[in-house]
Amino acid sequence: MTPPATSPGYRWGCPQRYPHRARRFWSARRVPAALVAAVVLGASGILLYDVVAVRASRPAMSWRRRLAHELATRPLDGAWATGCAAAAVLAGCWLIALAVTPGLRGLLPLRRDTPDVRAALDRAAAELVLRDRVMAVSGVQWARVDVGRRRVRARARAHFRDLDDVRADVDGVLADTVRELGLARQPALSARVGRARC
Amino acid sequence: MLRAVNRVLVGLAGLMLLALGTAVLAGRLHGVLLSTATRHKWRAHGWWWPTVIAVLSALVLLALWWLLAQLHRRRPREVAVDCGDGGTVAVRGRALEAVLEAEAGALDGVDRARAPLTGRRTAPGVRITLILTPHATPAAALHRLQEEVLAPARTSMGLPAFPAEIRLRTVRHRAERVE
Repeated sequence: MTPPATSPGYRWGCPQRYPHRARRFWSARRVPAALVAAVVLGASGILLYDVVAVRASRPAMSWRRRLAHELATRPLDGAWATGCAAAAVLAGCWLIALAVTPGLRGLLPLRRDTPDVRAALDRAAAELVLRDRVMAVSGVQWARVDVGRRRVRARARAHFRDLDDVRADVDGVLADTVRELGLARQPALSARVGRARC
Repeated sequence: MLRAVNRVLVGLAGLMLLALGTAVLAGRLHGVLLSTATRHKWRAHGWWWPTVIAVLSALVLLALWWLLAQLHRRRPREVAVDCGDGGTVAVRGRALEAVLEAEAGALDGVDRARAPLTGRRTAPGVRITLILTPHATPAAALHRLQEEVLAPARTSMGLPAFPAEIRLRTVRHRAERVE
């Protein structure tokens, strides 16, 4: 589909220049945030409960005495401390990566032709649309399309017609359909067509 | 807003873990992490335990707020619609969502739609998920949504802008030859 000729991107008749950049969708990172919040809440809550209990002259829970003992006796160059430190480094790197990357890799941003509408197409949906179109090429018996974020790979098997003709048709259909999807970033296309085993 | 808070706090937690881990691995910290002597050093001061309790309480409250903020999504309960004669009418958010969902769901090529509102009472937005029928053209459905649902909604509410985030999905279906 082409946007209407009156949309601002079509001024001066240059359809490839769109006025609003389509950026990626950024995840709200609810799940990692909830996990970190739950861990902080649990740890500080239990510690608070125990500290207050001790202030009210009740005995400290055994785990706290044990933890204080471990912290005071385990040497920092022992296997335990090294293992825990390595785990902390890994978890820290993972959380930092989550914080600075957009996420939502399954969403392909679409071109924007109005400033207040942002849209994205699920990669799975793009796969289904492309597969259906490739299946409609005459001669194609089976087709499968993998849509990556930068690359579209199609595989098809033909059960009649000349393979080169089918390949040319599949290439054409793929290029047309990808253009019709209106993606903000044109993916690279590749298609492999083979002969169906009878 | 929540997205920025989440990312800053998650990143901060990551930095703290990373700093502690690398300090231990690089051998910057010697002996043990928390010796009995260090632990006992502050206990003699009168302000120590009240401070610990205050800091822990603040941490518990903040973590609780943060956790609860993940669980519910903020939607405007009502939207102020300009009548054109200087007055405004409050429209229930749920009613508006239902109308948008029904209109979007009735579009050609759309199986069903969800449309939770976002933003504020005076400046609402919407986050739409369209589930497309098999063999629908996504760009065409998106165009129809803009022209037939979003633009009329914006003008009928008298809003200067009605920002929309749209996500297009498709009903799973088997490959079949369409003759």
